[in-house]
Amino acid sequence: MPMTDDRRFYVARSLPDALAALAERGHAGVPLAGATWIMRAPIRQERQDLSYVAISRIDEFRNVEILDHEIRIGACVTHAELATSLAFLPECRAIGQAAGGSANPAVRQVATIGGNLCASKFAAADLVPALMCLQAELDLETPRGPERIALEQFLQVRTSMEPGWLLRRVVVPRTACRSVHVRLPLRKAGDYPVAIVSMAAVLSTSGLVTSARVVVGSVEPAARRWKRLEADLTGCALDTGSAAEKAEKYSEDFQGRDGIEAPGWYRVKVLTSLVRRAVQAIQQES
Amino acid sequence: MSLHLNINGDDRLSVKDPLTPLVDVLRDEFFLTGAKVVCREGFCGACTVLLDGRPVMSCLIPVGLADGCTVRTVESLAPVGALSPLQQAMEQYDAVQCGMCFPGMMISLTHFLEHTPNPNRDQLKGALTGNICRCTGYERIIDAALSLAAERSSGMERDDHGKS
Repeated sequence: MPMTDDRRFYVARSLPDALAALAERGHAGVPLAGATWIMRAPIRQERQDLSYVAISRIDEFRNVEILDHEIRIGACVTHAELATSLAFLPECRAIGQAAGGSANPAVRQVATIGGNLCASKFAAADLVPALMCLQAELDLETPRGPERIALEQFLQVRTSMEPGWLLRRVVVPRTACRSVHVRLPLRKAGDYPVAIVSMAAVLSTSGLVTSARVVVGSVEPAARRWKRLEADLTGCALDTGSAAEKAEKYSEDFQGRDGIEAPGWYRVKVLTSLVRRAVQAIQQES
Repeated sequence: MSLHLNINGDDRLSVKDPLTPLVDVLRDEFFLTGAKVVCREGFCGACTVLLDGRPVMSCLIPVGLADGCTVRTVESLAPVGALSPLQQAMEQYDAVQCGMCFPGMMISLTHFLEHTPNPNRDQLKGALTGNICRCTGYERIIDAALSLAAERSSGMERDDHGKS
Protein backbone atom coordinates (compact mmCIF):
# COMPACT_ATOMS: atom_id res chain seq x y z
CA MET A 1 0.00 0.00 0.00
CA PRO A 2 1.56 3.35 -0.98
CA MET A 3 2.40 5.61 1.91
CA THR A 4 0.13 8.59 2.51
CA ASP A 5 1.61 12.09 2.41
CA ASP A 6 1.53 12.25 6.22
CA ARG A 7 3.52 9.04 6.46
CA ARG A 8 6.07 10.01 3.83
CA PHE A 9 6.66 13.46 5.22
CA TYR A 10 6.10 14.42 8.82
CA VAL A 11 7.11 17.74 10.39
CA ALA A 12 8.25 17.23 13.96
CA ARG A 13 7.71 20.11 16.39
CA SER A 14 9.86 18.88 19.25
CA LEU A 15 12.64 16.43 19.98
CA PRO A 16 10.30 13.88 21.64
CA ASP A 17 7.95 14.25 18.68
CA ALA A 18 10.78 13.55 16.22
CA LEU A 19 12.03 10.55 18.18
CA ALA A 20 8.55 9.07 18.40
CA ALA A 21 8.00 9.54 14.67
CA LEU A 22 11.33 7.90 13.84
CA ALA A 23 10.66 5.00 16.21
CA GLU A 24 7.30 4.46 14.56
CA ARG A 25 8.91 4.33 11.11
CA GLY A 26 11.77 1.95 11.96
CA HIS A 27 14.22 1.28 9.12
CA ALA A 28 12.13 3.32 6.70
CA GLY A 29 12.35 6.47 8.82
CA VAL A 30 14.93 9.16 7.99
CA PRO A 31 15.47 12.56 9.60
CA LEU A 32 15.28 15.43 7.13
CA ALA A 33 16.99 18.72 7.88
CA GLY A 34 17.87 21.00 4.94
CA ALA A 35 17.08 18.27 2.41
CA THR A 36 19.80 19.31 -0.01
CA TRP A 37 21.30 15.79 -0.07
CA ILE A 38 18.05 13.88 0.11
CA MET A 39 16.40 15.82 -2.73
CA ARG A 40 19.13 14.58 -5.05
CA ALA A 41 18.34 10.92 -4.27
CA PRO A 42 16.64 10.42 -7.67
CA ILE A 43 19.79 11.53 -9.49
CA ARG A 44 21.85 9.11 -7.39
CA GLN A 45 19.24 6.42 -8.19
CA GLU A 46 18.65 5.73 -4.53
CA ARG A 47 15.51 4.31 -3.01
CA GLN A 48 12.67 6.80 -2.72
CA ASP A 49 10.25 4.86 -0.55
CA LEU A 50 11.60 6.23 2.69
CA SER A 51 9.56 8.13 5.24
CA TYR A 52 11.00 11.51 6.19
CA VAL A 53 10.73 13.22 9.56
CA ALA A 54 11.49 16.91 9.11
CA ILE A 55 13.36 18.31 12.11
CA SER A 56 14.18 21.85 10.98
CA ARG A 57 11.20 23.34 12.81
CA ILE A 58 12.55 22.22 16.20
CA ASP A 59 13.84 25.42 17.80
CA GLU A 60 16.73 23.94 19.78
CA PHE A 61 18.15 22.45 16.59
CA ARG A 62 18.63 25.95 15.16
CA ASN A 63 20.70 27.34 18.01
CA VAL A 64 24.40 28.11 18.27
CA GLU A 65 25.55 28.49 21.89
CA ILE A 66 28.99 29.95 22.47
CA LEU A 67 30.11 29.11 25.99
CA ASP A 68 33.44 29.67 27.71
CA HIS A 69 34.63 26.10 27.28
CA GLU A 70 32.70 24.83 24.26
CA ILE A 71 30.47 25.70 21.36
CA ARG A 72 27.19 23.86 20.92
CA ILE A 73 25.73 23.79 17.43
CA GLY A 74 22.23 22.50 16.80
CA ALA A 75 21.91 19.89 14.08
CA CYS A 76 19.82 22.13 11.82
CA VAL A 77 22.08 25.17 11.89
CA THR A 78 22.76 26.04 8.27
CA HIS A 79 26.20 26.56 6.77
CA ALA A 80 25.46 30.27 6.33
CA GLU A 81 24.33 30.64 9.95
CA LEU A 82 27.37 28.72 11.17
CA ALA A 83 29.79 30.88 9.20
CA THR A 84 28.21 34.05 10.60
CA SER A 85 28.05 32.76 14.19
CA LEU A 86 31.70 31.71 14.31
CA ALA A 87 33.16 34.59 12.30
CA PHE A 88 34.66 36.27 15.35
CA LEU A 89 36.15 33.14 16.95
CA PRO A 90 39.70 32.70 15.66
CA GLU A 91 40.10 29.23 17.13
CA CYS A 92 37.17 28.06 14.98
CA ARG A 93 38.49 29.50 11.76
CA ALA A 94 38.49 26.07 10.08
CA ILE A 95 34.78 25.63 10.71
CA GLY A 96 33.94 29.14 9.59
CA GLN A 97 35.94 28.71 6.39
CA ALA A 98 34.37 25.32 5.71
CA ALA A 99 30.86 26.58 6.29
CA GLY A 100 31.37 29.86 4.46
CA GLY A 101 33.01 28.32 1.40
CA SER A 102 31.01 25.16 0.81
CA ALA A 103 28.82 24.66 -2.25
CA ASN A 104 27.35 28.05 -3.21
CA PRO A 105 25.49 30.89 -1.44
CA ALA A 106 22.00 29.52 -2.02
CA VAL A 107 22.84 25.99 -0.87
CA ARG A 108 24.62 27.39 2.21
CA GLN A 109 21.34 29.05 3.22
CA VAL A 110 19.68 25.65 3.50
CA ALA A 111 22.25 22.88 3.97
CA THR A 112 22.80 21.99 7.62
CA ILE A 113 25.67 20.82 9.80
CA GLY A 114 23.66 17.74 10.72
CA GLY A 115 23.02 16.80 7.13
CA ASN A 116 26.66 17.29 6.24
CA LEU A 117 27.73 14.88 8.99
CA CYS A 118 25.03 12.27 8.47
CA ALA A 119 25.18 11.98 4.67
CA SER A 120 27.42 8.94 4.76
CA LYS A 121 27.89 8.77 0.99
CA PHE A 122 28.94 12.39 0.67
CA ALA A 123 32.72 12.11 0.50
CA ALA A 124 33.28 15.82 -0.20
CA ALA A 125 31.46 17.14 2.87
CA ASP A 126 33.36 20.25 3.99
CA LEU A 127 32.27 20.37 7.62
CA VAL A 128 33.42 16.84 8.46
CA PRO A 129 37.20 17.41 8.27
CA ALA A 130 36.94 20.90 9.73
CA LEU A 131 35.02 19.66 12.77
CA MET A 132 37.25 16.62 13.16
CA CYS A 133 40.43 18.70 13.29
CA LEU A 134 38.84 20.67 16.15
CA GLN A 135 37.93 17.49 18.05
CA ALA A 136 34.17 17.84 17.72
CA GLU A 137 31.83 15.49 19.51
CA LEU A 138 28.23 14.72 18.70
CA ASP A 139 25.25 14.54 21.02
CA LEU A 140 22.97 11.82 19.71
CA GLU A 141 19.54 10.77 20.84
CA THR A 142 19.20 7.01 20.45
CA PRO A 143 16.56 4.43 21.39
CA ARG A 144 18.76 3.72 24.42
CA GLY A 145 18.88 7.39 25.43
CA PRO A 146 21.32 10.26 24.89
CA GLU A 147 24.91 9.46 23.86
CA ARG A 148 27.96 11.57 23.22
CA ILE A 149 30.38 10.30 20.62
CA ALA A 150 33.54 11.65 19.02
CA LEU A 151 33.07 12.59 15.39
CA GLU A 152 35.87 10.23 14.37
CA GLN A 153 34.03 7.34 15.93
CA PHE A 154 30.65 8.47 14.57
CA LEU A 155 31.94 8.19 11.01
CA GLN A 156 32.74 4.52 11.67
CA VAL A 157 29.27 3.64 12.98
CA ARG A 158 26.81 6.03 11.34
CA THR A 159 25.65 3.51 8.74
CA SER A 160 25.20 0.63 11.15
CA MET A 161 23.35 2.24 14.03
CA GLU A 162 20.01 0.98 15.25
CA PRO A 163 17.19 2.96 13.55
CA GLY A 164 15.46 5.69 15.49
CA TRP A 165 18.57 7.76 16.34
CA LEU A 166 18.91 11.45 15.78
CA LEU A 167 21.82 13.88 15.80
CA ARG A 168 20.87 16.62 18.23
CA ARG A 169 23.91 18.88 18.24
CA VAL A 170 27.63 19.16 17.62
CA VAL A 171 29.91 20.19 20.46
CA VAL A 172 33.30 21.79 19.74
CA PRO A 173 35.73 22.39 22.63
CA ARG A 174 37.27 25.83 22.74
CA THR A 175 41.06 25.65 22.75
CA ALA A 176 43.97 27.94 22.03
CA CYS A 177 44.64 26.40 18.65
CA ARG A 178 44.97 27.92 15.22
CA SER A 179 43.00 26.21 12.52
CA VAL A 180 42.45 26.39 8.80
CA HIS A 181 40.33 24.68 6.13
CA VAL A 182 41.83 24.41 2.66
CA ARG A 183 39.83 22.99 -0.22
CA LEU A 184 40.59 22.52 -3.91
CA PRO A 185 37.56 22.73 -6.21
CA LEU A 186 37.85 22.43 -9.96
CA ARG A 187 36.56 25.96 -10.47
CA LYS A 188 37.41 28.78 -8.13
CA ALA A 189 34.20 28.18 -6.21
CA GLY A 190 30.90 26.37 -6.39
CA ASP A 191 32.15 22.85 -7.06
CA TYR A 192 32.63 19.83 -4.86
CA PRO A 193 36.26 19.96 -3.70
CA VAL A 194 38.65 17.46 -5.21
CA ALA A 195 40.55 17.34 -1.90
CA ILE A 196 40.33 19.00 1.49
CA VAL A 197 42.90 19.51 4.24
CA SER A 198 41.74 20.84 7.60
CA MET A 199 44.48 21.56 10.08
CA ALA A 200 44.55 22.65 13.71
CA ALA A 201 47.79 23.34 15.57
CA VAL A 202 48.77 24.56 19.00
CA LEU A 203 52.06 26.40 19.04
CA SER A 204 54.36 27.05 21.99
CA THR A 205 55.67 30.52 22.72
CA SER A 206 58.84 29.56 20.88
CA GLY A 207 56.83 28.59 17.81
CA LEU A 208 57.08 24.82 18.12
CA VAL A 209 54.05 22.69 17.36
CA THR A 210 52.88 21.13 20.62
CA SER A 211 49.90 19.40 19.00
CA ALA A 212 48.64 19.03 15.47
CA ARG A 213 45.55 17.53 13.92
CA VAL A 214 45.41 17.14 10.16
CA VAL A 215 42.27 15.78 8.56
CA VAL A 216 41.93 14.90 4.89
CA GLY A 217 38.54 15.02 3.24
CA SER A 218 37.14 14.16 -0.20
CA VAL A 219 40.19 12.06 -1.15
CA GLU A 220 38.69 8.87 0.24
CA PRO A 221 35.01 7.97 0.79
CA ALA A 222 35.19 9.37 4.34
CA ALA A 223 37.39 11.99 5.95
CA ARG A 224 40.10 10.80 8.29
CA ARG A 225 43.11 12.02 10.19
CA TRP A 226 46.59 12.01 8.74
CA LYS A 227 48.27 10.62 11.83
CA ARG A 228 51.77 10.09 10.48
CA LEU A 229 51.92 13.69 9.36
CA GLU A 230 50.49 14.88 12.68
CA ALA A 231 53.22 12.98 14.57
CA ASP A 232 55.98 14.35 12.35
CA LEU A 233 54.79 17.95 12.67
CA THR A 234 54.61 17.77 16.45
CA GLY A 235 57.68 19.07 18.27
CA CYS A 236 58.94 20.96 15.23
CA ALA A 237 58.76 24.53 14.08
CA LEU A 238 55.93 25.12 11.68
CA ASP A 239 57.57 25.47 8.29
CA THR A 240 55.83 25.26 4.91
CA GLY A 241 58.74 23.60 3.13
CA SER A 242 59.34 20.82 5.63
CA ALA A 243 55.61 20.27 6.12
CA ALA A 244 55.19 19.83 2.38
CA GLU A 245 58.11 17.38 2.25
CA LYS A 246 56.55 15.34 5.02
CA ALA A 247 53.17 15.42 3.28
CA GLU A 248 54.82 14.22 0.07
CA LYS A 249 56.51 11.39 1.96
CA TYR A 250 53.28 10.28 3.65
CA SER A 251 50.90 10.77 0.76
CA GLU A 252 50.98 7.01 0.21
CA ASP A 253 48.82 6.79 3.34
CA PHE A 254 45.81 7.62 1.18
CA GLN A 255 44.02 5.67 -1.53
CA GLY A 256 42.29 8.28 -3.67
CA ARG A 257 38.75 7.59 -4.88
CA ASP A 258 37.94 7.93 -8.55
CA GLY A 259 35.10 10.33 -9.23
CA ILE A 260 33.45 12.27 -12.00
CA GLU A 261 35.38 15.40 -11.12
CA ALA A 262 38.84 13.87 -10.63
CA PRO A 263 40.67 10.53 -10.58
CA GLY A 264 41.99 9.15 -7.31
CA TRP A 265 45.66 9.66 -8.08
CA TYR A 266 45.06 13.40 -8.62
CA ARG A 267 43.30 13.79 -5.29
CA VAL A 268 46.33 12.31 -3.53
CA LYS A 269 48.78 14.27 -5.66
CA VAL A 270 47.39 17.65 -4.60
CA LEU A 271 47.58 16.93 -0.88
CA THR A 272 51.15 18.20 -0.67
CA SER A 273 50.11 21.59 -2.03
CA LEU A 274 47.11 21.77 0.27
CA VAL A 275 49.28 21.03 3.30
CA ARG A 276 51.65 23.78 2.21
CA ARG A 277 48.76 26.23 1.91
CA ALA A 278 47.37 25.16 5.27
CA VAL A 279 50.66 25.66 7.07
CA GLN A 280 51.15 29.02 5.39
CA ALA A 281 47.69 30.12 6.51
CA ILE A 282 48.32 29.05 10.09
CA GLN A 283 51.63 30.89 10.09
CA GLN A 284 49.82 34.03 8.97
CA GLU A 285 47.48 33.83 11.94
CA SER A 286 50.28 34.77 14.36
CA MET B 1 -2.01 17.37 2.99
CA SER B 2 -2.54 21.08 2.12
CA LEU B 3 0.43 23.37 2.24
CA HIS B 4 0.15 27.11 2.77
CA LEU B 5 2.61 29.37 1.04
CA ASN B 6 2.67 33.09 0.49
CA ILE B 7 3.93 33.47 -3.06
CA ASN B 8 4.78 36.93 -4.30
CA GLY B 9 2.44 38.42 -1.74
CA ASP B 10 -0.50 36.09 -2.39
CA ASP B 11 -1.62 33.38 0.03
CA ARG B 12 -1.69 30.14 -1.92
CA LEU B 13 -2.55 26.55 -1.18
CA SER B 14 -0.61 23.64 -2.66
CA VAL B 15 -1.99 20.13 -2.75
CA LYS B 16 1.15 18.58 -4.14
CA ASP B 17 3.06 15.77 -2.42
CA PRO B 18 5.18 17.49 0.26
CA LEU B 19 8.33 16.00 -1.25
CA THR B 20 7.68 17.72 -4.59
CA PRO B 21 10.48 20.16 -5.37
CA LEU B 22 9.33 23.74 -4.84
CA VAL B 23 10.38 24.67 -8.39
CA ASP B 24 7.89 22.16 -9.79
CA VAL B 25 5.12 23.49 -7.56
CA LEU B 26 5.82 27.06 -8.64
CA ARG B 27 5.88 26.19 -12.32
CA ASP B 28 3.26 23.46 -12.62
CA GLU B 29 0.75 24.36 -9.93
CA PHE B 30 1.01 28.15 -9.87
CA PHE B 31 2.23 28.76 -13.43
CA LEU B 32 5.15 30.90 -12.28
CA THR B 33 7.59 29.78 -14.91
CA GLY B 34 10.31 32.32 -14.21
CA ALA B 35 12.31 29.87 -12.11
CA LYS B 36 13.81 27.34 -14.52
CA VAL B 37 14.41 23.60 -14.13
CA VAL B 38 17.91 22.77 -15.35
CA CYS B 39 20.33 20.71 -13.24
CA ARG B 40 18.05 19.64 -10.36
CA GLU B 41 21.22 19.38 -8.27
CA GLY B 42 21.58 22.83 -6.76
CA PHE B 43 24.56 23.74 -8.92
CA CYS B 44 23.26 25.94 -11.73
CA GLY B 45 21.00 28.39 -9.89
CA ALA B 46 18.42 28.70 -12.65
CA CYS B 47 15.74 27.85 -10.09
CA THR B 48 16.82 30.37 -7.45
CA VAL B 49 13.97 31.99 -5.51
CA LEU B 50 13.75 33.81 -2.19
CA LEU B 51 12.37 31.69 0.67
CA ASP B 52 11.63 33.79 3.74
CA GLY B 53 13.98 36.37 2.25
CA ARG B 54 16.89 33.97 1.62
CA PRO B 55 18.03 32.88 -1.84
CA VAL B 56 17.61 29.11 -2.18
CA MET B 57 17.73 26.48 -4.90
CA SER B 58 14.05 25.69 -5.30
CA CYS B 59 14.90 22.37 -6.96
CA LEU B 60 16.24 21.17 -3.61
CA ILE B 61 13.43 22.47 -1.38
CA PRO B 62 10.65 19.94 -0.78
CA VAL B 63 7.47 22.00 -0.81
CA GLY B 64 6.61 20.53 2.59
CA LEU B 65 9.48 22.53 4.09
CA ALA B 66 8.06 25.70 2.51
CA ASP B 67 4.74 25.33 4.34
CA GLY B 68 4.03 28.61 6.11
CA CYS B 69 6.87 30.40 4.31
CA THR B 70 6.99 33.38 1.97
CA VAL B 71 8.33 32.79 -1.51
CA ARG B 72 9.41 35.42 -3.97
CA THR B 73 10.10 34.58 -7.58
CA VAL B 74 11.54 36.68 -10.38
CA GLU B 75 8.00 37.66 -11.35
CA SER B 76 7.79 39.71 -8.17
CA LEU B 77 10.80 41.93 -8.78
CA ALA B 78 8.79 44.56 -10.64
CA PRO B 79 5.17 45.28 -11.56
CA VAL B 80 3.86 43.72 -14.76
CA GLY B 81 5.18 45.64 -17.73
CA ALA B 82 7.98 47.27 -15.79
CA LEU B 83 11.54 46.33 -14.95
CA SER B 84 13.24 46.57 -11.60
CA PRO B 85 16.26 48.88 -11.41
CA LEU B 86 18.51 45.81 -11.57
CA GLN B 87 16.72 44.48 -14.64
CA GLN B 88 16.99 47.91 -16.27
CA ALA B 89 20.70 47.93 -15.63
CA MET B 90 21.02 44.50 -17.25
CA GLU B 91 19.13 45.73 -20.30
CA GLN B 92 21.25 48.88 -20.46
CA TYR B 93 24.43 46.81 -20.43
CA ASP B 94 23.01 44.30 -22.95
CA ALA B 95 23.83 41.58 -20.44
CA VAL B 96 21.21 38.96 -21.38
CA GLN B 97 21.73 36.32 -24.06
CA CYS B 98 19.64 33.15 -23.98
CA GLY B 99 17.98 34.17 -20.72
CA MET B 100 17.96 30.74 -19.10
CA CYS B 101 20.10 31.73 -16.13
CA PHE B 102 18.68 35.21 -15.74
CA PRO B 103 15.75 34.72 -13.39
CA GLY B 104 18.08 33.05 -10.93
CA MET B 105 20.74 35.70 -11.49
CA MET B 106 18.25 38.46 -10.77
CA ILE B 107 17.05 36.86 -7.56
CA SER B 108 20.60 36.25 -6.33
CA LEU B 109 21.77 39.74 -7.24
CA THR B 110 18.66 41.46 -5.85
CA HIS B 111 19.26 39.81 -2.50
CA PHE B 112 23.00 40.37 -2.58
CA LEU B 113 22.80 44.07 -3.40
CA GLU B 114 20.25 44.61 -0.65
CA HIS B 115 22.73 43.21 1.89
CA THR B 116 26.01 44.38 0.33
CA PRO B 117 25.31 47.85 -1.06
CA ASN B 118 28.88 48.64 -2.11
CA PRO B 119 30.36 45.42 -3.46
CA ASN B 120 33.56 45.06 -5.42
CA ARG B 121 33.94 42.88 -8.48
CA ASP B 122 35.26 39.86 -6.56
CA GLN B 123 32.42 40.01 -4.08
CA LEU B 124 29.89 40.03 -6.89
CA LYS B 125 31.57 37.06 -8.52
CA GLY B 126 31.46 35.25 -5.21
CA ALA B 127 27.77 35.98 -4.90
CA LEU B 128 27.18 34.40 -8.30
CA THR B 129 29.07 31.15 -7.73
CA GLY B 130 25.70 29.42 -7.63
CA ASN B 131 24.41 30.95 -10.87
CA ILE B 132 25.95 29.33 -13.92
CA CYS B 133 25.87 31.19 -17.24
CA ARG B 134 27.16 29.46 -20.34
CA CYS B 135 26.53 32.39 -22.69
CA THR B 136 27.83 35.67 -21.41
CA GLY B 137 31.10 35.21 -19.56
CA TYR B 138 29.56 37.20 -16.67
CA GLU B 139 31.46 40.45 -17.25
CA ARG B 140 28.51 42.55 -18.45
CA ILE B 141 26.35 41.12 -15.67
CA ILE B 142 28.96 42.25 -13.16
CA ASP B 143 29.33 45.64 -14.86
CA ALA B 144 25.58 46.19 -14.73
CA ALA B 145 25.35 45.23 -11.08
CA LEU B 146 28.26 47.49 -10.17
CA SER B 147 26.70 50.38 -12.04
CA LEU B 148 23.48 49.97 -10.10
CA ALA B 149 25.37 49.80 -6.83
CA ALA B 150 27.21 52.98 -7.75
CA GLU B 151 23.95 54.73 -8.63
CA ARG B 152 22.45 53.77 -5.30
CA SER B 153 25.51 54.99 -3.45
CA SER B 154 25.25 58.33 -5.16
CA GLY B 155 21.52 58.55 -4.47
CA MET B 156 20.69 58.43 -8.17
CA GLU B 157 18.64 55.19 -8.14
CA ARG B 158 16.07 54.82 -10.91
CA ASP B 159 12.47 53.71 -10.30
CA ASP B 160 10.66 50.81 -11.98
CA HIS B 161 10.03 52.98 -15.03
CA GLY B 162 13.64 53.91 -15.58
CA LYS B 163 13.42 57.37 -14.14
CA SER B 164 15.96 58.63 -11.62
